[in-house]
Amino acid sequence: MSSTSIPRQVYLLASLNPYQGNWTIKVRLTAKGPMRHYNNTRGEGYVFSVELTDDDGTQIQATMFNTAARKFFEVFDLGKVYYISSGYLKRANKTYNCVDNDYEMTLNENSQVEEAVNEPVLIPETKFNFVPIDQLGQYLHKKELIDVIGFIQHVSSSMSIRRKVDNEIVPKRDITIADDTIKSVIVSLWAPLATGIGNKLLDMFDASPIVAIKSLRVSGFGGITLSTITNTIIDINPNSPESHKLKTWYGSEGSTTKFEYVGSTFKTGLINDAPSLYSDRVGLDYITNNLSLGEAKPVYYTTRACMSFIKTNQSMYYHACKTCNKKLTNNVGSGYSCEMCKTTQTDSNLRYVVSAKFSDTNGEAWMSLFADEAQTIIGCSATELDNMKSKDDGGAYQTQLKKATWVPHVFRLMVAPQEYNNDKRQRITVKIVSPVDYAAESKFLLDDISSTQS
Amino acid sequence: MDTSKPAVLVNGGLLRGYVGQRVRTVAQVVRPDAGGLTGRSTDEKQIDVKGKMPAAVTTFVEVIGVADGPQSICAEIVTNFGDTFDANNFNQLCRHANGDFRHLFI
Repeated sequence: MSSTSIPRQVYLLASLNPYQGNWTIKVRLTAKGPMRHYNNTRGEGYVFSVELTDDDGTQIQATMFNTAARKFFEVFDLGKVYYISSGYLKRANKTYNCVDNDYEMTLNENSQVEEAVNEPVLIPETKFNFVPIDQLGQYLHKKELIDVIGFIQHVSSSMSIRRKVDNEIVPKRDITIADDTIKSVIVSLWAPLATGIGNKLLDMFDASPIVAIKSLRVSGFGGITLSTITNTIIDINPNSPESHKLKTWYGSEGSTTKFEYVGSTFKTGLINDAPSLYSDRVGLDYITNNLSLGEAKPVYYTTRACMSFIKTNQSMYYHACKTCNKKLTNNVGSGYSCEMCKTTQTDSNLRYVVSAKFSDTNGEAWMSLFADEAQTIIGCSATELDNMKSKDDGGAYQTQLKKATWVPHVFRLMVAPQEYNNDKRQRITVKIVSPVDYAAESKFLLDDISSTQS
Repeated sequence: MDTSKPAVLVNGGLLRGYVGQRVRTVAQVVRPDAGGLTGRSTDEKQIDVKGKMPAAVTTFVEVIGVADGPQSICAEIVTNFGDTFDANNFNQLCRHANGDFRHLFI
């Protein structure tokens, strides 16, 4: 089909668009992802992606599924040059694609890939843009991927985490690295790095090797942690100036220095075993934009927000057993019975179970509130509220709920994903409500401003 | 919000840059004077306030008026701000309002 004797009209990547199909490109394979198996609502199959770079330096991601994936996986080798045609372009999906191009390419089994045998093979050097560990705070709630370099302080054993979304067990290993900013950070290695490189690092950790890691996600579960993604690259003891500099520093001072976890100056940590109201501070948009938060185990955050909307026609309380607080069964006409305590009672406690919407400067979220927390926000007990509801036209009831909206509080929240009718949702529960200390909040905001400025 | 007569947020050190202009600041009352009071700004400088005071003055007051000297304000409005006030937070606010973030303030 393709002949090397016919001169090709080669197009630059920058000139490609989805509306013109007759192109051939000449590109070098600058990154090759692993073959991955997927299983989602639309079916199951295999997929892998590559990064292609042309003479101009433009890059584009190309993805292949199933038959095409199997056909081209062995053909594509890192660093070689290929002529490619009959691929198809569409707008890049930034969730799966970090390559800087508005478009991404898909190759199917009719696409043509031919190696340009007269071109030299050039395996590109991984380009790093290291962030010093003490600067990681400013990447905290951003989607940007970062690179770090540091020496290994600790390697954990391999852990098995069950992914709630598909019940698969995935391996994870945590390593602690530190650099010359006297700060350390935990990097979570997910499969296949957890086992492959992870095992290697476990064996060599006595020697405090230097690792350079490219493409890490920054997350803030109780401080700051870094997580690997599919495209993360780890180089051990690389032969680079930064690596040598760090090795020298470690040799002279680093081995005896005491390091502090980055993010611990953000007042994380416990005061009298209770988390500080300034630790793990996030905006509501951080929580709602990350549906997988709390997948393995529920996670906790603090936030400052106002209740913005409460449905007045929901049943906001339930009849609770006076002994064990469980919901009572209403035996119409003859009182209540408690399944747990095996007793019958004529009266009950009314306990709150409320669902309300909360808003802050960046976002909004529905949250669940119970008992004492709901009482603090609504401003009266469930019994009192019920009395107001049945009195007159319920005007006092409406007013009480209205007065409770748009009052700022500081909350400690528990977040975990939840399946609802095959839909991935999020369950956010208010665990603690605290009044706003304005002077302390202002100071916290000022600290936040200066840390993003530096 | 009435934006017809904007007042710049200043502390003691920034006041001298706005002589003749309308300013606003919060100061700790040191002692009352004939015709006003002597105050200490959030950056520890003396500010002389001239004009009508509220009957009883709390530890901190907000002053809005025209700066008529490098450390003096001819007050139009003086408001009691209570006895607890975080001077450091206000001071940083003044620095931001006149520095990197001045475009966010009127």
